[in-house]
Amino acid sequence: MKFSLSWLKEYLETDLDVYKIADLLTNIGLEVENIEDRSKELKPFTVAYVKKADKHPNADRLKVCEVETKNGTFQVVCGAPNARKGMKGVFAPEGSFIPGTKIILKKTSIREVDSAGMLVSEKEMGISEEHEGIIEVDNKYKVGESFAKIFGLNDPIIEIGITPNRGDCLSVIGISRDLAAAGAGKFKSQKIPQIKGSFDSSIKWKRFFNKKNEFLCPAVAGVFFKKIKNSESPEWLKRRLLTIGLRPISTLVDITNYITYDLGRPLHVFDADKINGNLTMRLAKKNESIKALDGKIYNLNEEMVIIADEKQPHAIGGIMGGEESSCNENTTNVFLEVALFDPISIARTGRKLDLQSDARYRFERGIDPNSIEWGINKACQMILELCGGEASKITVAGNYKIPNKKISYNFNKISTLGGIAINKKDQKKILESLGFKVLSESVNKSIVVVPSYRPDIDGEADLVEEVLRIFGYDKIQPKSVKKETSDLFPSINSKQFTFYKFKRLIASRGYFEVVTWSFMSSKLSNYFNNNSDVLKIDNPISNDLDIMRPSIIPNLLESINKNQARFFNDAGIFEVGPQYQNYTIEGQKMVATGIKYGNINGNNWIDEKRSVDVFDIKSDIYFFLSSLGISTENLQLEDQAPDWYHPGKSCSIKLGKINIGYLGEINPIILNLLEIKSNVCAFEVFVENLGQFLSNRTSIKKPFDNNPYQIVERDFAFILDKKVRSNLIIESIKRTNKELIKDVTIFDVFEGKTIPEGKKSVAAKVIFQPKKSTFTDKDIEDLSKKVIEQVCMKTGAFIRE
Amino acid sequence: MNPSKIEKEAIDKINSIEDLQELENVRLNYLGKKGSISNEMKNLASLSIEEKKEVGKKLNILKNSILEKIESRKISIQNSLINKKILEEKIDLSLPSRNYNCGKIHPISQTIDKVIHIFSSMGFNVVEGPDIETDFNNFSALNIPPDHPAREMQDTFYLTDKKKNEKFVLRTHTSPVQIRTMLEKKPPLKIIVPGRTYRCDSDSTHSPMFHQVEGLLVDDKSTMAHLKGCLIDFLKDFFELNDLKYRFRPSYFPFTEPSAEMDIAYKKINDVLNIGKGDDWLEILGCGMINPRVLENCGIDSKKYQGFAFGMGIERISMLKYGITDLRSFFETDLRWIKHYGFNPLNLSSHIGL
Repeated sequence: MKFSLSWLKEYLETDLDVYKIADLLTNIGLEVENIEDRSKELKPFTVAYVKKADKHPNADRLKVCEVETKNGTFQVVCGAPNARKGMKGVFAPEGSFIPGTKIILKKTSIREVDSAGMLVSEKEMGISEEHEGIIEVDNKYKVGESFAKIFGLNDPIIEIGITPNRGDCLSVIGISRDLAAAGAGKFKSQKIPQIKGSFDSSIKWKRFFNKKNEFLCPAVAGVFFKKIKNSESPEWLKRRLLTIGLRPISTLVDITNYITYDLGRPLHVFDADKINGNLTMRLAKKNESIKALDGKIYNLNEEMVIIADEKQPHAIGGIMGGEESSCNENTTNVFLEVALFDPISIARTGRKLDLQSDARYRFERGIDPNSIEWGINKACQMILELCGGEASKITVAGNYKIPNKKISYNFNKISTLGGIAINKKDQKKILESLGFKVLSESVNKSIVVVPSYRPDIDGEADLVEEVLRIFGYDKIQPKSVKKETSDLFPSINSKQFTFYKFKRLIASRGYFEVVTWSFMSSKLSNYFNNNSDVLKIDNPISNDLDIMRPSIIPNLLESINKNQARFFNDAGIFEVGPQYQNYTIEGQKMVATGIKYGNINGNNWIDEKRSVDVFDIKSDIYFFLSSLGISTENLQLEDQAPDWYHPGKSCSIKLGKINIGYLGEINPIILNLLEIKSNVCAFEVFVENLGQFLSNRTSIKKPFDNNPYQIVERDFAFILDKKVRSNLIIESIKRTNKELIKDVTIFDVFEGKTIPEGKKSVAAKVIFQPKKSTFTDKDIEDLSKKVIEQVCMKTGAFIRE
Repeated sequence: MNPSKIEKEAIDKINSIEDLQELENVRLNYLGKKGSISNEMKNLASLSIEEKKEVGKKLNILKNSILEKIESRKISIQNSLINKKILEEKIDLSLPSRNYNCGKIHPISQTIDKVIHIFSSMGFNVVEGPDIETDFNNFSALNIPPDHPAREMQDTFYLTDKKKNEKFVLRTHTSPVQIRTMLEKKPPLKIIVPGRTYRCDSDSTHSPMFHQVEGLLVDDKSTMAHLKGCLIDFLKDFFELNDLKYRFRPSYFPFTEPSAEMDIAYKKINDVLNIGKGDDWLEILGCGMINPRVLENCGIDSKKYQGFAFGMGIERISMLKYGITDLRSFFETDLRWIKHYGFNPLNLSSHIGL
């Protein structure tokens, strides 16, 4: 909403300058977005008298002028053809900033003649493109008078953002009322004379709705004007509209625009000679269409309120009139429409037609039902004054007398909800200055009558806001919110703990965290699965982001080539975030997803170069889980992982029956499709599934077992079938004696010439420690025997001699 | 036997030796089983008790003295051997180290962790909700009816479950989690909700996905004074400023009444934002007292309970705190950017950083 200071002063008696007013506006909830105050930058430019204009001694086209200004007489070299003795122009002194050319004027010498200051053109003042000659001002203006004032450029323009609840402030009068309440000055309510028509309108209003749809247009009123003249508007009206960026069209149209911004009352004028019979408010019929004032044709549907005569639609109710019956300079008979519409219906129609207008903007925010009456009167007053002619009596359809809302209000609410004590008298004063009426005097239970122009006021809380915003939010003394005994338990649960902790664990293993879109392209996703169950977005921002991601892996892979081009040849990247399986809350899974690509040692001089492999990832996973206090002893790795993994180099990770995630090398087919040249390994961990396995976050630990007996280690090498999983050896060994076997590790795996075809050699190191007394040779021999026996039995291996 | 003579002889010998094996031979010559001192020891048996005592003592002193000399000579030989070796081992330590990979935490995560940390010290609990929401939770229950102009404040992404013919939205704010929480739990409630939010809008200052943190406090006594106190305390802590210039402006949100927006002052010095003082204002968050209609929509008696809610953009406060200028860069997976703006994983958000 834009308006000028002089316009505001029509309704507000104030001495405050534009900046003070702007501060007040922001403080009461009418946020100032911009102030355009040209009077400041135009201040140096004043009227000057050209006392002499002689030919320049060294240039044919230049003149040397003697210019009388308010600060004395200066010599100015000027090239304008219209510069002449005896004229009055606009003088720019030395050191002033010329807005049109954006330069600071300096004293100079032109062809050996000194020139101090300048006589300026309209272009140099930034008011037009005119640069042929300098500005000439009427002789009636005195030397030293302000250029800005003469040209009407000293009226500051304020632009405010109006929140959707404040339809009443989409008008200069509404803003003035709020400002007056906030102490900016005195509100000047204006008296609009009642119209007295001299004849009956030949066009009558009809409403044609069934009972349940009558609310779509509760009432409409009209006046017929005959013998009017629709020419150019007077200067003051054109200037008002121009300052807020509206183009003057003709007096009738300008009047409707003016009243829309001045009083927040949209209205419409039809050229009465182009209307056939009466006008009806009704719902559009199927296949009806209208060419609107913007020149576009709109196809209407049966939910849209239109205004039609006996032949055709003439307006989309409350949004825009039709071109067919629009007024132009030849219009002599006019029919004025002032109506009420249902805000929701207006919003829906406007959105469906993708048609925005000043009228729609106001109607969908709700307007004063009483404006039917004062709207008609104000329009009549202006039309008769500016266009002449005669007005008919008012024609009305429907009922616009809607009783004002009443709210029961407890004055103590200001302290129990607002947290500040304001006495009843002050509250009442504020409410009344905003147009509310306080009916009962009791503190605990008063009745407050809401003015008709405030449909947003809904209950006590709204009244508290009204009082507070005028009184000042800044006067409320802040009170800290403290932790109370009732909320001493942890702020995050174990699931959340895992989610947040996991990020730091992953980063601590050299991965960079990224945050990527929750969306991705269906084309890319198709590489990963056959898009059977992807969740499509109905209105995606682009085709590249048209589905909810079923996995984070594709987004991470997409960043590899880009980052390799930036010399991150080898890196780890991760994201902990959501992926989506279905529309339910359970279908959204929080997944910690990481990839590593390129060489594991980078490009250093000391280590052998080695491509990242699944055991790097496996080590990371074991680190993450054990750091969370999850025992890795019971992890089960099974050969089953999604298709985007290499089928021979991937596995699922399980704890009991719960699937914790996957790890593996990315399927070379996918890498090929994405043109990724490096080897890539990845993991996915369902972090929410981990919460239940976290060790209790208590401080008590098991007592330390300081076993003094000597530790013995023995190595065993087995030959077994290639297909047998090595983990089976470890498990079999552990099972032989859980008490005495402290640890089993595999330290060598070998396949080759010395091993039979289809077999492998696996060497395990076993650590034994006695519980009660030092091992005898026989003890160790027995244990070793059992180990060999067990492994051979469970895995079909034989011991390598 | 002349102990001092033997001792002198032995010491001379030991001191001239440069080789560990030779030294061992000397030891055996004197102190081995068949060594000269060992032999003398054996001869003690033939002496009288008196003599035994006297000679034995002398022999022992001699033995220990020689042993001591041998040990010290041994260390000296070893040292000179090691010294000789290590002098040949000079390496070029100016060569680069083995790779050390330290990852980075994204500024969004760092910011959210900090926010959680601060609010948890005021007793707020972390709650979350799904990104794919119902129209009811995201709009209607929050007092934003269909076709209400307030819906145009937020451009919404829609999804349709074709199998069930159900429409969903990508939550446009974290506020639907207020609804979920109030439907599920009884007051008093003190929650914060960090999470992803979506709006169908994309330009240099808007991103189709961004993060918010929502706050909600419901009890029977908290007022706007607490709302102000809570947010001022938070921002002072977050920006690490004892002195923060701020203002609360009346505003409008359908789910709060009264509503406010909070601005903080800033000053631009050499193109760098200085937060907390100055004459220009930055909008930082929206807040207000919960609209009674929202409480009633969640089955909470608005005559008995009241409270406040607030919401702020994580990227926005992150940009202000860390001096990041481009919103889009948060989501661009540019590792140079992450390396520059990211955080060491051990850089924790607690007040003392431990």
